[in-house]
Amino acid sequence: MVSMTRIQGAGIGLRSQHYAHILTHQPAIPWLEALSDNYLGGGLPLYHLEQIRAQYPITLHGVSLSLGSADPLNMDYLTQLKQLADRIEPVHVSDHLAWVSVNGHYFNDLAPLPYTASVLHYVADRILQVQDFLGRRILIENLSPYLQFRHNSLTEWQFLAALLDEADCHLLLDINNVFVNATNHGFDPLDYLKVLPIDRIKEIHLAGYEEQDHFLFDTHGYPVQPGVWELYQQALQRFGPVPTLIEWDTDIPSFDVLMAEAQQADTYLCQHHPQN
Amino acid sequence: MSTPPPELSELQKLFYAAIATKDANSIQQLQPQMHSTEHLSFERGLSAYQGSVVGKLSRALEDIYPVCCRLVGAQFFTAMARQYIRRHPSQSPDLGDYGEQLPTFLAQFEPTASLPYLPDVARLEWHWHRIFNSADQPGLDLVALGQVPPGRWPELVLQLPDNSVLMTSPYPVHRIWQVNQADTSSTGTIDLNEGGVNLFLWRDQYETRIDLPNAAEWQLLQAFASGAPFGEICAQLEHNDGIDVTALLPIWVQRGWITGFTLGWDEHSSG
Repeated sequence: MVSMTRIQGAGIGLRSQHYAHILTHQPAIPWLEALSDNYLGGGLPLYHLEQIRAQYPITLHGVSLSLGSADPLNMDYLTQLKQLADRIEPVHVSDHLAWVSVNGHYFNDLAPLPYTASVLHYVADRILQVQDFLGRRILIENLSPYLQFRHNSLTEWQFLAALLDEADCHLLLDINNVFVNATNHGFDPLDYLKVLPIDRIKEIHLAGYEEQDHFLFDTHGYPVQPGVWELYQQALQRFGPVPTLIEWDTDIPSFDVLMAEAQQADTYLCQHHPQN
Repeated sequence: MSTPPPELSELQKLFYAAIATKDANSIQQLQPQMHSTEHLSFERGLSAYQGSVVGKLSRALEDIYPVCCRLVGAQFFTAMARQYIRRHPSQSPDLGDYGEQLPTFLAQFEPTASLPYLPDVARLEWHWHRIFNSADQPGLDLVALGQVPPGRWPELVLQLPDNSVLMTSPYPVHRIWQVNQADTSSTGTIDLNEGGVNLFLWRDQYETRIDLPNAAEWQLLQAFASGAPFGEICAQLEHNDGIDVTALLPIWVQRGWITGFTLGWDEHSSG
């Protein structure tokens, strides 16, 4: 297994539909991102992942840490995640600024948090515990909430910027989610990007949203939309060529479609020089 | 350990009840806590989450139970899944853990009473799913077994793989399962009265298998599954001419049907 501590360029989210294609054709992609939750049990999925890991750097992206939940951290899940990370040696391990469980019941969906100082300290403390347990810094990703709490005393971007600092963690910046939120909740996406600390942004996600009657819905089932490409370029201007991933989760197309999206992102990445 | 701010626990309980269980009282209490915008009213946001949660769980059931879905039709399956989801909230971060009670649910589900084999097909699909996704099972530790003094062999408890299941049905569920695979070209008809089956589900390396043991093999599989010591099993089967335990045992070890053993308090199970 090639030891990898850094990634660059535009990667693609690994989906089981493409295992055979990747292993047979070994497409020229700088890295692949695996959904951690799919490999915790082992068996055939992990066997495939290890074969792919032998040839590509991997990042691990999860949905179930439930960092913002009032429930205690799920130590079984965290233990499984650590075992997977120890085995795969990913470049990054990431999850979301969200909660997915309460009272032991799981949403299996990402729910938003109230953005207050007390919640900020609580979540920061949990991220520190997770990082301590995993023995590495994690990346947290911004989500697209469809409901927002009236209690919010901070904006999402203020909350996020303060959290990165207090938890000493990194950011996986989902540009699609920033765009979707700005449209749905009526703010300027540049206000969002402006406050984020450049040195903590280690990865960007791009995906396609769906237009509902009155709002945008983050389905990850479409090509990246023009407005998101535009915002992406503005983000690159500010943050430099941050490694970028194409995410596609529903109605998954052929690998070539994903490659074309990644090449588009790569074209923009090449126009920006690293910020040191 | 960090303690959650009290308002967080309360808000999350309310949010969960309003979305996952659609509890009217919780929805009413949640509304004043939430902020509406021009594009995204409370009702639209709530409905987006409600649809997303049910959609995720419903798709998880479709993935685990594709044959049941095919047998009743996608539309019927989705409607049935909604009822199941209302009754069985998810209790695991892993969507692969969701749906274990579907066979029992189907057995009591009036609208599918005319398909009496459906709960057993569901049972077969659940076992298949769990075995397919299970952790690798190391083979039997032959060195450790070789160190057991012959005098203690009767006390040995030989173990079937953790990721294996013995399943019985009065219907030919394995054939129903087979002809309803997405990639099958078989169009053969199945006589539901052709008799019951005993199935052994297990995994040969990465290949999940449904085997039909003969009567003698089935009896021996059941004996091992019961956890009886080897001496007791041999005594039970001594007068059964159809079973030659000493001949079958090396074959089963080779095949991967025996993967661990215990001897008194010494654990040598590889599970």
